Amino acid sequence: MNLRRHLLEATTLVLLAIVCALVANALASRERKLALIGNYPDALKVPGAEPTPAASLASEGGATASSKSPFEEKRPGSHEKSAPKATAPAQASEARNFSSSPADLLKRFPPHNKPYVEISGDAAAWLVARGALVLDARRTRDYEQGHIAGARSFPVWEGDIDARVTALVGEGRDSAIPVVLYCSGGDCEDSHMLAQKLYGAGFNNLLVYRDGWPDWVRRGGMSATGPES
Amino acid sequence: MTPREALASPWLTVRVQIALGLFFVAAALPKLVDPPSFAHMIYNYRLVPGALVNLMALVMPWLELLAGLALVLGIWTRPSAGLVGALLLVFLAAISLNLARGNAIDCGCFNVAVANRTVDERLADMRLDVLRDLGMALLVGQIFWAKARGGAPAPAA
Repeated sequence: MNLRRHLLEATTLVLLAIVCALVANALASRERKLALIGNYPDALKVPGAEPTPAASLASEGGATASSKSPFEEKRPGSHEKSAPKATAPAQASEARNFSSSPADLLKRFPPHNKPYVEISGDAAAWLVARGALVLDARRTRDYEQGHIAGARSFPVWEGDIDARVTALVGEGRDSAIPVVLYCSGGDCEDSHMLAQKLYGAGFNNLLVYRDGWPDWVRRGGMSATGPES
Repeated sequence: MTPREALASPWLTVRVQIALGLFFVAAALPKLVDPPSFAHMIYNYRLVPGALVNLMALVMPWLELLAGLALVLGIWTRPSAGLVGALLLVFLAAISLNLARGNAIDCGCFNVAVANRTVDERLADMRLDVLRDLGMALLVGQIFWAKARGGAPAPAA
């Protein structure tokens, strides 16, 4: 009889924990809220090329997501090293205007039809300077403390990430145009996970800036602070 | 008083309950404050299906908090100690499996902030975490043993 009572008490504690968790999550702020059913693709899994809605635009990418990016081999050496430096706002906004057409971006970074390809800081700087879409996969608080100028916040560990991805798809962007994703460098996999989500949504030119924010700061790249405007 | 009687004494058992309960309350608080970071920690263990990561991240801290509080207050001590013991077994298995396969992770036990540490530092911490959890499992064992011997303490509060 005692065992039955103890089991009932233990079950009550578990049920109470579930109720408290659901109520607390419902009342939590956006940054602290979680979707009840998680959607976390294996960040580092790189399946073979599969047709996607934008596959028709794909070139012979043959890109792999190994630590060595094929784009690094393709890039013309010296001029790529002209990473954008911290500049005055006027210069920064000028640098963010397309200085080359999307066709130029595509010429150098053709769709690879893989979840992601890792790129170096030089390649990221080249893309940022030409107005490529940049997505920051870190937590909102990290984004607000500092991010690549013009980057949009896509925190993969916060509850509204799938809504953000859906909204991005709804913007009707050409899914073949390069998109740069980054997080905290090192062993951070958040940008890879974001790439998996976007690849699943039809984007097929996702470029993960593998050294991420710490490298961008080291380079003195254009940055901004505060919430997403 | 023999050593066996001393180990099963209500005086000791009350203090063990309070210490164990406070450990679990302290472990729960950072996870309750930042569930997304705890979800990230759970994901890093690579043991839980992605669909269940968030549910675990939301419920487990509340379970730790409620079981810990019950132990501190001396309410439903046996089921609370049982839940704490079950959680400790899960933690021990999860950390040990990752140690065995060399997956260096932050434990996420008392702190859910991502720490920039080397693989060796993380692995060393994981070994200490296993020892700490084994120590706490011994405390759970003491509570059950004392209760089985009939040395049930009065509620602490």
